[in-house]
Amino acid sequence: MQLRINGQTYDVDVPSSELLLWTLRDDLGLIGTKFGCGIGYCGACTVHVDGEATRACMTLVSNVEGKEIRTIEGLATIDESDAEILHPVQQAFIDEQVPQCSWCMSGQMMTAAAFLEQNTGPSEEEIVEAMAENYCRCGCYVRIKAAVIRAAKTMAEEVEHEQNS
Amino acid sequence: MSKTAKDASPNPHKWRLTRRRFLIGMGAGAATLAVGAAIGVPIALPRIRQGINQMFILGEGDMPAPSTPDSPLVWFEIGEDNMTHLYVPKIEMGQGIHTTMAQIAAEELELDWNQIVVHQADMMRGFEGGTMMTFGSLSTLLLYQPIRETAATMREMLREEAARQLGTTTNEIVAKENMCSLQSDSAQQLTYGQIVSNKQGEWIIPETPPALKSIDEFTKIGQPLQRVDFHEKITGRAVYGFDARMPNTLYGAIARPPRYGARLQRAAAGTAEEQPGVVAVVIEDGFAGVVAERRMQAYMALRSLELEWVGGSELNQDELEQIVTVGRGGVVTQNEGSVSQNLGNTPISAEYRTPLAAHAHLEPQAATVDVQADQVMAYISTQIPNMARDEIAAALNREPEQINILPTYLGGGFGRKAGHDVGVEAARLSAAVGQPVHVGWDRAEDMRYGYMRQPTHHVFQASLDEQGNVLAFEHQVASGDIGFAFEGGFPGGAFGKWLVGADPFAGFGSLVTYDNIPNRRVVYHRAQIPVPTGYWRGLGLFPNTFAMESFVDEVAHAAGADPLEFRLRHLSTSNELSKRFRAVLQAAADQAGWDTPPPEGRARGIASSLNAGTVATQIAEVSVTDGKIRVHRVTCAIDPGLVINPDGARAQVEGSIIMGLSSTLYERATINNGMIQTANFSNYPLISMRDTPEIDVVFIDGSDEPIGGMGEPAIGPIAAAVGNAVFALTGERLRELPLTLTGQSTSSETGSLM
Repeated sequence: MQLRINGQTYDVDVPSSELLLWTLRDDLGLIGTKFGCGIGYCGACTVHVDGEATRACMTLVSNVEGKEIRTIEGLATIDESDAEILHPVQQAFIDEQVPQCSWCMSGQMMTAAAFLEQNTGPSEEEIVEAMAENYCRCGCYVRIKAAVIRAAKTMAEEVEHEQNS
Repeated sequence: MSKTAKDASPNPHKWRLTRRRFLIGMGAGAATLAVGAAIGVPIALPRIRQGINQMFILGEGDMPAPSTPDSPLVWFEIGEDNMTHLYVPKIEMGQGIHTTMAQIAAEELELDWNQIVVHQADMMRGFEGGTMMTFGSLSTLLLYQPIRETAATMREMLREEAARQLGTTTNEIVAKENMCSLQSDSAQQLTYGQIVSNKQGEWIIPETPPALKSIDEFTKIGQPLQRVDFHEKITGRAVYGFDARMPNTLYGAIARPPRYGARLQRAAAGTAEEQPGVVAVVIEDGFAGVVAERRMQAYMALRSLELEWVGGSELNQDELEQIVTVGRGGVVTQNEGSVSQNLGNTPISAEYRTPLAAHAHLEPQAATVDVQADQVMAYISTQIPNMARDEIAAALNREPEQINILPTYLGGGFGRKAGHDVGVEAARLSAAVGQPVHVGWDRAEDMRYGYMRQPTHHVFQASLDEQGNVLAFEHQVASGDIGFAFEGGFPGGAFGKWLVGADPFAGFGSLVTYDNIPNRRVVYHRAQIPVPTGYWRGLGLFPNTFAMESFVDEVAHAAGADPLEFRLRHLSTSNELSKRFRAVLQAAADQAGWDTPPPEGRARGIASSLNAGTVATQIAEVSVTDGKIRVHRVTCAIDPGLVINPDGARAQVEGSIIMGLSSTLYERATINNGMIQTANFSNYPLISMRDTPEIDVVFIDGSDEPIGGMGEPAIGPIAAAVGNAVFALTGERLRELPLTLTGQSTSSETGSLM
């Protein structure tokens, strides 16, 4: 079958019962999407499917054929001169010095990016609710929250800038 | 993409040992300046001994001396491209140690922070496994001085060579930001890369030790420099043990016993070999596993094995708690004055209990191992590479020298990645199929078949004199094992003999540190339970401090005293440690506004602890709504001495408090019929962002060197600080973790079993 991931098309030959998580990691080498619990609780495996934050550990590959999948490897963009432009969420996670071990951070950033792309100018409470289903065992929650608030501002400014121009 | 065997190709550095016990690089192809500190560098040894002695405060006699082979402790290279490659032995598991080590090196070597590449050292590059052990919050303490001396030595070599190349004398040369320039004419300058490139002949290590900077000359130590590992982590490129693969890697899954201690009496492949993708069923003495082309195929085929388990424990939770209960006997680990003569007839007394808990590091145990006839390569998420090597060697009946451990980034360690069952499992399967095999535990395996935080039970008694000062104080603790559980496996192999009946690791935080109490006694009772227990962040620190500092609070209230004032008055002004305790207590109180009333509906609690040389006080501000405890704010004053990276250190405090709060409010693993019931986050929930308090951190200034660790100490006080605040607010004293107000149930009892 064919999968659309980060704007590219991949031919994959996997059993029908295969999960998106293992296909990304073990077949395609997209190791940025992490395994944490296998039951959709911790959020380490969060990717975007047609723009929606989705738990790859509970998603059959056969169910996402033909859909647009985005992983952490596709969150940054590449400009005309081949330079990597980090997503505002990634930049905010660096600016706030968020990660410790960082195993959960792909999932945190993918959850935040999907939320902020659908919600402009969220309140702090809305951000906490959006992020509350992603575990971080190192306990980076104070900084994750600060980073998502920062990214929300950046993205709101970008939207405003585009509307004005 | 994954790390491949190419990265790990045998490319050992060549060096020779110099008189000052430095290692200097030899015969490199391109021009480089390469210098390492040998393990036996004279200043390092006492430092390591001091660190180890600090760990084993309860022990008698000396630990076995570390071996002193001529292999590097650290290894730095500067190339013609002006980049500096720092090979550091300590494992990066989120504590930011690669950044810390780089900052120390950059300070004395005068490096441009953007011209540094930090590498994880490994055995292929000649590092001794023992130097890579990353535990006990000791990395900075052990390596601060050797890194400075190595870096300063290289700086002096560069200055001297720059002087020769510029036709001047060394004292005319200023080194700064990867550049040597003339003091009188800064336009005359050479980059480190140019100096290295122009160098004729061999580099010589100077005979005289270089001058080290004083702290007021520091420009990098003490600054919140950005972490060196963030970009690859933020973009998903960083490789962890669960990610590392070699060409043609297969996937393994292991049969697990239904009860602790059960023995595999009989095993047969059944129909497993006919299942899709299965490459081999591996049945050896007491061990059964499947190797398949895909992970899910391996796990699926496991179900088709015919397995007969016999024996093992049938223990239930109430029986476990009976075993972990203070009884007669025990080993006295602290005895000052005479407690029995001073407790009186009506001492204040209380009992406390803490449960089994999981590490719940989000990256489960993982390894990829390739067993070949002449050598073994093992990528593994490990904190203790030499133990991983020895365990794999023993399982394969090979010499340890044949095993190359390639440490990766860790997706959390917290002590659990000092165990290497997963590496042994991958090695056994790889040996059977002759191909690399990856084994990555699932969450249920990780929560059930690793080792857990030891359960504890505490009995306290105390008496007061007429002035309301403590006359006698006794702590009796019953604890599951930490050190005893690893008998024979720790440094030197003679660990078991060295222990004196009380488990020194489980004893962390158990001693009575209020030195104005004249009569103090601590008695340790070993509780042997069938559940494997072992290193969990801070070891005994978290459970013992919860019990100790909650009871101190009880005694303060019995004396009618303010909990802060009561603590201060029981700490002398003469003892060095007590002075440090007083400083963190006062600093936390000042910062949190202890003397001002908390907001309406809230109360504050205070607690302190000592771990890895670092003292800390925390003040928690809590409210209770419908029986639910909410922690709004935690203030932490902490004194680890000189802080290398204040932002990284603050992150460790924040993380320790949040991990500790998770255990304070939620975590409890339970056993039924010989097996842990809590197998995933559905019935073992962790704290989330919803329960995250504001965290305020204050460092105590005034030291010109690191005196304590940062990775674990701040997990000590939080549970007692919260419990004490709940008492101040509600009058209910909570003596068991997780803290649960009367009429509320713990989450693990209500959660569904998956």
